[in-house]
Amino acid sequence: MESNNKTIQLEAARALVTALEADDVSVVEHQLAILTQSQESELFQEVGKLTRELHEAMSNFNVDSRLVDLTENDMPNTRERLNYVITTTEDAAHKTLGYIDQTLPLASELKLTAEKIDESWHRFRMREMNADEFRSLSKEIEVYLPEVKQHSEQIHANLSEMMLAQGFQDLTGQVIRQVIDLVAEVEDNLVRLVKIAGQHVENKPKDNKEVDPIKAEGPQINAGDNPNVVNDQDEVDDLLSSLGF
Amino acid sequence: MKILIVDDFSTMRRIIKNLLRDLGFNNTTEADDGLTALPILQAGGIDFLVTDWNMPGMQGIDLLKAVRADENLANIPVLMVTAETKREQIITAAQAGVNGYVVKPFTAATLKEKIDKIFERIDAE
Repeated sequence: MESNNKTIQLEAARALVTALEADDVSVVEHQLAILTQSQESELFQEVGKLTRELHEAMSNFNVDSRLVDLTENDMPNTRERLNYVITTTEDAAHKTLGYIDQTLPLASELKLTAEKIDESWHRFRMREMNADEFRSLSKEIEVYLPEVKQHSEQIHANLSEMMLAQGFQDLTGQVIRQVIDLVAEVEDNLVRLVKIAGQHVENKPKDNKEVDPIKAEGPQINAGDNPNVVNDQDEVDDLLSSLGF
Repeated sequence: MKILIVDDFSTMRRIIKNLLRDLGFNNTTEADDGLTALPILQAGGIDFLVTDWNMPGMQGIDLLKAVRADENLANIPVLMVTAETKREQIITAAQAGVNGYVVKPFTAATLKEKIDKIFERIDAE
């Protein structure tokens, strides 16, 4: 292409000199036009090359723009997510400790009374007890038995609550997985950026990040700020009943 | 009554299993996502499915759709227990034929209420 262009230019230049010497104005104009045109086609090629380079630079810039997006949106979001993990684990720990605090005295009380009754019962069996003492013992037993039932129920309920509080592991686990994915993505993008800086550019297929409205997102952080998110079971029930459930 | 509990977190499966036991359901079995749950369901003998949504492999919503699409399984009641709380998600689950939707974190009372409601409806049919 280039050598072809050079031949055309050389021919035109020679013809131009000849025409100038011969004073042939129309040929001079014609040869000048050919020269200008060949110059222009070189310019076009140059512009084409520049355009291609620009295009490549732009598509490489996608990597950088994802990095910008990561720093502007995903990173602050990740801080919120990690704070959610702290709050949720803290709440669960307090809840569990609270129920333990509530349960331990119940168990101690049952044990102490049982020990006392056991001792008296032993004396009764050894016939070491008078009628008044026995009346007092049977009164104690009468009070104790419903108390055992009541306390056991309370202990059972408290243990159930402690068990439910362990749900934090699932909720925070989902969030931590998202953070792990993000860290991996940041790492991947940084590696690519380093490669680009080293002039080893690979054209990567662009991620098509289409938003799927029902994609699983795990626990919502700051659910209150998003009208598209329900805040509790009551709102779920309302929404479902509005659908005829 | 045999219940299949599907959740990728073993802690949550344990919690649900214990709560179900408290409610008198002693016969439970577990799977950690839709892909492992489906063969268990297809093998037969499961009367009730409790599933999470967000799981690797096959998600709960796809498991629900697969169950409804399989003529042998289509009538199994399905309770979704999940942290997914977007309106579109709840509507999608309802349209896919979920029988109950419980959001995490939940209480024992909520789980009982939803399960009672599901069986009331089945008994009424």
